[in-house]
Amino acid sequence: MKKQVGLYYSLPQIMWLLVFFAAPLGIIIAYSFLKKGLYGGVEPQFSLEAYTAMANPNILIVTWRTLKMSVIATILTLLIALPCGYSIARSQNQAMRLFLVIVPFWTNFLVRIYAWIAILGNEGFLNDIIRALHLRSESVQFLYNQTAVILVLVYMYLPYAILPLFSTIDKFDFTLLDAARDLGASRFQSYVRILLPNIKSGLVTAGLFTFVPIFGAYAVPLLIGGKDSYMLGNIIADQLTKTRNWPLASSISMTVTILTTGLVFLIAMRKPREQKQVFDADPGLITPVASGGR
Amino acid sequence: MHALKKPKAIRIAILWRTRRMLRKGGAAARKFMPARSSLSNVIYWVVIGFLFLPLFVLVLYSFNSGRQATWQGFSFEWYQKLVMASPELWRAFLNSVIIAFGSAMMSTIIGTLAAVGTARYSFKLKSFVSTMSFVPMILPEIVVGVSLLIFFAGVGLKLGLATVWIAHTTFNLPFVYLLVSARLEESDPSIVEAARDLGANEMQILFRIILPMALPGILSAFLTAVTLSLEDFVITFFVTGPGGTTLPLYIYSMIRFGVSPVINALSAVMVAGTVLLIYPMRNFLKVFAAR
Amino acid sequence: MKGADVDIVGVSKFFGSFQALKNVSLSISKGEFFSLLGPSGCGKTTVLRLIGGFEEPDSGTIAIEGKNVIGLPPDKRHCNTVFQSYALFPHLSVFENVAFPLRIRKIPQQLVREKVMRYLSLVQLEMHAAKKPSQLSGGQRQRVAIARALINEPSILLLDEPLSALDAKLRQHMLMELDAIHDKVGITFIYVTHDQQEALSVSDRIAVMNMGEVLQIGTPRQIYENPATEFVARFIGETNVFSLKILSIDGTKIYGEVDGLGPMFVDDETDAKPGETVLATIRPEKIRISADLPNTNGGRINVLHGIVAEPIYSGFQTKYVVQLDTGMMVTVYRQHANWSEGIPDIEWKDEVYLSFSASDMVIVEMHEQ
Repeated sequence: MKKQVGLYYSLPQIMWLLVFFAAPLGIIIAYSFLKKGLYGGVEPQFSLEAYTAMANPNILIVTWRTLKMSVIATILTLLIALPCGYSIARSQNQAMRLFLVIVPFWTNFLVRIYAWIAILGNEGFLNDIIRALHLRSESVQFLYNQTAVILVLVYMYLPYAILPLFSTIDKFDFTLLDAARDLGASRFQSYVRILLPNIKSGLVTAGLFTFVPIFGAYAVPLLIGGKDSYMLGNIIADQLTKTRNWPLASSISMTVTILTTGLVFLIAMRKPREQKQVFDADPGLITPVASGGR
Repeated sequence: MHALKKPKAIRIAILWRTRRMLRKGGAAARKFMPARSSLSNVIYWVVIGFLFLPLFVLVLYSFNSGRQATWQGFSFEWYQKLVMASPELWRAFLNSVIIAFGSAMMSTIIGTLAAVGTARYSFKLKSFVSTMSFVPMILPEIVVGVSLLIFFAGVGLKLGLATVWIAHTTFNLPFVYLLVSARLEESDPSIVEAARDLGANEMQILFRIILPMALPGILSAFLTAVTLSLEDFVITFFVTGPGGTTLPLYIYSMIRFGVSPVINALSAVMVAGTVLLIYPMRNFLKVFAAR
Repeated sequence: MKGADVDIVGVSKFFGSFQALKNVSLSISKGEFFSLLGPSGCGKTTVLRLIGGFEEPDSGTIAIEGKNVIGLPPDKRHCNTVFQSYALFPHLSVFENVAFPLRIRKIPQQLVREKVMRYLSLVQLEMHAAKKPSQLSGGQRQRVAIARALINEPSILLLDEPLSALDAKLRQHMLMELDAIHDKVGITFIYVTHDQQEALSVSDRIAVMNMGEVLQIGTPRQIYENPATEFVARFIGETNVFSLKILSIDGTKIYGEVDGLGPMFVDDETDAKPGETVLATIRPEKIRISADLPNTNGGRINVLHGIVAEPIYSGFQTKYVVQLDTGMMVTVYRQHANWSEGIPDIEWKDEVYLSFSASDMVIVEMHEQ
C-alpha cells in the first residue's frame, strides 16, 4: 500500500508535466516529421522536409553562427568570471562582493537589455561621450552587429558563471596553493596545476549555465543584433510567427534541444562522480541564476 | 511596485535558506588570509564597473529632460509620467502580479506534494518523477515557449492570461520541486520514525511533522517562483495573447515600438528597488551563493 | 656548535590591528629537532609561515643558512612544509603528489620514478603509489606529505601540527616515525605543536610561546624541570603554585611563608628580596602522599595537611586532588609502584599529609596580566 502513497503525492506533478511539458515536446517532435500546412499548422502526412529544409544554407549559416557566438561568449564569460570568482572567494568581505555582482543580475532582464541600447545606440551614452569629446562628429554605429550581441550576452550571463565558480573556489583548500608554492611552483604554475584541476566541476557548471541559455538566446540578438547576428532562437520564432512553417520551427527546436541537453548529459555522464555536482548543483545556486535571466 | 516586490520575496527566501545554512555551519572563516592576487582583484572591480555601467546610465537618463537620449538638463518629468500617465503600464504590472502569485501558488502546491512523495516513499516511478522534474530546467526557454505555443494552438486554447499562467506554472515546477526536496532531504528521517513511534498516523505525520519542517523550503520555493514569473520574458512572449501583457512584455514593446523616456524612469525605479532591498541582506548572500 | 641554520631576530607581525608576534628572536641550529610549543593563537604557526615564506614580517630579520630571506617567495626558499591538513593535491595520485616538485623542475621521467619510489619507501608507502589521497588513511596521508616535502632535499623541514588530525595511538606511532626520519635525513626539523607531550618526547630544544611572545627556549628537561614563568610551568605538564612571601634568603636557600599554610622552604635562585612575594611551584609527581605524618628528619621538607577531594585512578597511577586546610587544591600523582610497598590505599575523604623537598620547588616569573 505504501508504494502507492508516494505515487499519489506525485501524481499532480506527473500529470501537469505530462500535459504541459512532455505533450508539447512530443507535439513538436511529431510536427517536425510532418508536412507544412498551407496557412500555418501541419498536414497529417509524414515528411522529412523539415529536416532537409535545415540543410538550407541560410539555416546552416545561422546554426554555425549560433554555435560560434555561443562558444565565443561562453569562453569570454569564463575567462572573466574565473578571476572574479577567485577574487570574491579570497576576499575578506565576500558578502559585499557578491552583493555587487548580484544587484545588476537581479535587475530585470529586459531593463538591462534596454540599458545597453541606451548606451550603444546612435543617440546613446557612448556616442554622447564621443561627441562631447569631439572625437567624431557623426555617431558611431555600435548596435546591431555580432560584437554588440556577444558583448551583451557576456554581460547578461557573467553572473551565471561567477556564482558557481565562486561557490567552487570557496570550497577549494587554499593551503594547496601554499603547498604548491612551497614545493617550488611559481604562482602561475600553482594556479594552472593545482587550482584549475580542482575546480573543474565549477568550470563545467559555469560553462553549462552560460552556454545553454546563450545557445537558445532570443531576446538579446533580436533587440541588440542586426541581420548578421540572427541566432537560431530568432529563426525559430520567425518560422513560427512570420513564415508560419511550423514543421521547420519544430525541427530547429529539436536540434537546439538535442544539442543542449545532449551536451549537458554528455558532460554529466562522462564522469559519474561529476554528475552529482552538475545535477545536484543545488537549488540555491540555480535559483538566483535562473531568476536573473528569464 | 513590481521592482519592490521581487527582491523582497527573494530576501525572505534567502533568510530562510540562510538560517538553515547557519545551522549546518558555513565555510570556515578565513580571517588571516588576505586576497593576495591583486590581478584578480583588479579584474573583479573592472567587471563590477562593467556590470553597473548600464544601471548607472539608466538612472542618469531618467532625470534627463527632453525626449532625446542626449543630456538636456535635469527633470522629474518622466517620473511624473510614470505615475500619472501610464494606465497600460499599470495594467501590465497588475497582470504580472496576478500571474506571479497565481502560478507560484499552483506550482508550490503541486511541486510540494511531489517532493513529499519522492522524499518520503520509494515507488516504481520515483526516479522518473525526479528526472522529469529536472529536464524542463535545462531546456532552452525558446524551446519551452515554442512547444507550448504549438500545443495551445493544437488543443485550441485561446492565448491570454490563462495560457501565460499555465506556462509559468510549468517552468516554476522544477524549481519548487528541487527546493522543497532539498529541504526535505536535509531533515532527519528519524524524526518521522519518532513521530510514528509516538503514535502519529500518516496524515498527522504529514501535517504536523513533514510540512511544518519543510515550511522554510516551501516558502522559499513559493517566493522563488514569484520571482521567476515576474522576470520571464521569452516564454511569456510566445504564449501570451490579448489581455495577457505582462510588465516585461510591456517594456519590450516600449523598446521595440518607440522608446519613451518613461522607460528610463521605470527602469531606474526597478534598479533602486533592487539595490535597496538586497543591500540589507548582503551578509546572507555569501551563505546563499556558497552552497 | 654547528652554527645557526635559521636566525630570527626581533620579528614582529601584525594582522590588521592584531599583533600576532611581538619581537620574536630564535636561533635554530643545523640538524636540530626544534619545536615551537604553545596554545592555539600563540603565534607559533605564524613563525613557521614566516620561515616558509607565506607571510612577511612587519619588522625584524629572518636568515636561513646565513642568507637574509625577507622578500623571497616560498618556491625560492630551501625549506619545505608539512601542512597541518597535509595539503595533498586531491586530483593527483600519491606518486604524482610526491613527484610534483620534480615535475615543476622538469626532471626527466626516469629520475623522477627512481627518486619518488625511494622517498615513498622511506615512508613505507611504495605499495600505495597509484592511489589517490582520498583512498589513504590519515597516517598514510601524513607520510605522503612528509615524503613530498622531503623530495626536494630541503635543508629545513617545517612541520605544522602534522599529527593533530590523527588519533592518539597513531599519533604516538607517527611521532616515533618522525623521529626516525629525522635521524635518517639529518636535516633541521622545525615542529609546531600545541601538545606538550609530543614536544617533550622528540625535540632537541623547545621554544614555548604565548600571545605572540617566546617565553622560554631550552631542552625538554630544562623546560619541564625549570620553567621560567608561571605560564610555562602550567602549560607543560601540571603544577601546583604557591604564593610565597619571602622571609629570608641565604644563597639559594629561601625561607618564606604561604598565607594560611605557614612556613615553606624553597631551594632555587631568585632576584627577589625578603619581604617580596614570589610564585613557588611543585610538580604533582614530586609530592609524596601519606596517611601518617611523614618524618622530615629536620631536613628542608615541606609538609601540608589536607583531605582527599578527588582520587582519579588511571591505571598506571592515581591522581589525587587534595584540599588543604585553607581550601586550596593541590594535585598529587602517586605511581602505583608504591602499592607493592604495602602502603595502605588512600581513598576519598581520607586525611592525608603531603610532603615535598625544597629542592624540587621552582620559583617562576609571575605571569603578566
